[in-house]
Amino acid sequence: MVASLRRNRALWITAAIVLLVLFWMTRRYEPKVTASILLSGLTLGSLYFLMGSGLSLIFGLMDVLNLAHGALFMIGAYVGFTTYANPRLILNMLPLALALLGGAMIGRWLGGFLPPTLKRGWANRALLAALLLLSLALAVIGLRAFDLAPLAAATATATGGAVATELAQEASGVYLPRIALLAGAGVLLGVALTRLGKAEARRRARAQTAIVGLLVLGVAFAIVPLRSPVEVFLLGLSTNARFLLALLIGVLAGAGLGGLIEVSLIRPLYGRPLYQILLTLGLGFALTEMVKSVWGTPGYYMDIPAFFASSGDNCPSPNLLAWFSDHCQSISVLGRPFPSYRLFIIALGVVMFVAILLLLQRTRLGIIIRAGVQDSEMVQALGINVRQIFTLVFAIGTGLAAAGGVAAAPFLGVNLGLGAELQLQALISVVIGGMGSYIGAAVGALLVGFARAFGDQLVLAGIHLPWAEDVVRMSPSIARASTVLIMALVLLIRPSSSRCSPASRSMRARPSSGREWSSRCSSWRCTP
Amino acid sequence: MPNILEVDGIHTFIGQFHILEGVSLAVPQGSITALLGRNGAGKTTTLRSIMGLNPPREGAIRYAGEPIQGKTAFQIAAKGIGYVPEYRAIFRALTVEENLKIAERQKGDLAKRSDLIFELFPDLKRFYRLPGGQLSGGQQQMLAIARALVPDNRLLLVDEPSEGLAPIIIEAIVAALRQLASHATVLLVEQNFRMASMLADRYYILDDGQSVHSGQMADLVNDRPLITKYLGAGYAGTPVTPTPERSN
Repeated sequence: MVASLRRNRALWITAAIVLLVLFWMTRRYEPKVTASILLSGLTLGSLYFLMGSGLSLIFGLMDVLNLAHGALFMIGAYVGFTTYANPRLILNMLPLALALLGGAMIGRWLGGFLPPTLKRGWANRALLAALLLLSLALAVIGLRAFDLAPLAAATATATGGAVATELAQEASGVYLPRIALLAGAGVLLGVALTRLGKAEARRRARAQTAIVGLLVLGVAFAIVPLRSPVEVFLLGLSTNARFLLALLIGVLAGAGLGGLIEVSLIRPLYGRPLYQILLTLGLGFALTEMVKSVWGTPGYYMDIPAFFASSGDNCPSPNLLAWFSDHCQSISVLGRPFPSYRLFIIALGVVMFVAILLLLQRTRLGIIIRAGVQDSEMVQALGINVRQIFTLVFAIGTGLAAAGGVAAAPFLGVNLGLGAELQLQALISVVIGGMGSYIGAAVGALLVGFARAFGDQLVLAGIHLPWAEDVVRMSPSIARASTVLIMALVLLIRPSSSRCSPASRSMRARPSSGREWSSRCSSWRCTP
Repeated sequence: MPNILEVDGIHTFIGQFHILEGVSLAVPQGSITALLGRNGAGKTTTLRSIMGLNPPREGAIRYAGEPIQGKTAFQIAAKGIGYVPEYRAIFRALTVEENLKIAERQKGDLAKRSDLIFELFPDLKRFYRLPGGQLSGGQQQMLAIARALVPDNRLLLVDEPSEGLAPIIIEAIVAALRQLASHATVLLVEQNFRMASMLADRYYILDDGQSVHSGQMADLVNDRPLITKYLGAGYAGTPVTPTPERSN
């Protein structure tokens, strides 16, 4: 007990400060004000958690600080919004992406037929590099004059729904060659990624890959004529159904993109933390630019689905039970209306927290993840393919962030700055809770959420100091600074990281085992 | 007896350091073979090279006649090689049960082996639901060995099981390892010469990253000059006392 108190000192001290502030709040403000501050804090905390839990899991398991996490949160928001308001863009991009993927799978199989005598060497590497360039060229030709920006633009109508652009679908005669070209680019890419001199890698590239690749390619072509009917069908759905679909597609996009990033970019850099940080930082910028080139600079506003947007005579709903029948925009909490959609964000955070907790505690995958957080090498030595687990956890983490992005879209709006701001807060919350600790991430997110909500309230209402006549007004930056202040405090209390004790660190430096040269010791994470 | 494991002139680097400069050894099936040598001779690196955790740059490793060098650690482990690393690398946050369960290769492995494990190490049954980090050093070592027993491993690489343990616990570990030898072949790295000499049939001595000597354990015990030369004077006295407890 004492040991756990000492180990989590930062967490406990922060929690104590929050409790003190809460106590002061109950004395200072009316209950309804306190309640709404707390609910706002929960809402923000829920979003920070959706972002921070993935950051923490990824960092804990693979020592990768994913600074592109915010960008994936933002992509979740954009993809979710687009599915919700303008599925045309998604429907037009899907076949192209599938073609590239299917082509790459076939190319990977073809790469197995390269002569085994093809060893590493400059000439052969140049050949593969040329293939890579050729693949890029094909992709560029395939996408030439395919203007996504007008497709992306959606206009909101007065009735609350959004309608797609007036732009007609591209004719199949133009569109099908694009798919073919991208499939060709994929094949070249797959061949170019063949690892020279790796007999094992060749044998693994089995015919199954090619068959699945062909299937994916088939799907890519098959859905082309379905673009318009599916769009009409989707826009005919209720906003609630479309919102659920947006959540699903957003999460899939985030998880898929995350998995792809792990396999292609992060995997070659395990054991080189500095490169990883630079890579993910740069990737964040690159992804933001990509989103900018498709969706443009101005932000979008996503409507709250009808389930949370009714505004009848009996609104705001007097309580949660009544809300379930009238779906009012807001619910009266101790006499003060609180937007019901924010309760949904809170619920989403809670559901995700419980779901991932069950995954970690009750399943074999969870056991492997928890063991890998301590010592992924030993997990590997038990006969478990840790690389696969890494990819899966990366995808889960980015999927969670994307879910947060979709959920945040109607609350914070869809814009390019969405990810960066939240990533900073989530990072702070993860540092407070202890890097690599899942429950720590949840507690940290709540603390930061409360701090932020409380800071906002202080700025709004000002502070009445006993010795001053007037209410002292503060700059809104104080609210933003409050969370950074908390982090500074935590880092002062425990400079290395909130869960790393010197004893456990010295245990890690093992003579003659070679571990001291790996990333583990240069990183500042230790397991409890 | 055929050799279950053959290591043929492997060279392993850690960073830029040339740690193994041509280690060769053969482990006959069903034996306990000890890997001896001073600190820094390359014993642990040899085990890690076999396991694929520090893959050798040169040389060949064959397990049951099949070359395994260049494969990844999980593929090597899945062939039936269990690894009990030094410093008892159990998962401290996982319960004893979870520590064992994670080693399953097929569902039901643990259920099949639990009788044997609890017979060897009754303590593990008592603390089945306790986090591994709360066990004593000896119990953690037992857990680490038990974990390698869960799947049907034919070869166990055991690295310094006696390190930092009290003599009475060492005896229990010795008894367990001896029983274990009836289930699997063991390649044992051990600083405690007395323990190694009690357990092993054959030995290899490593010095400066090279295998310099090998033979029957029974011969080595009486060869004081050899012991003094490669293992240090402290080992030459009889009876050899266990190395004093070391703190981590």
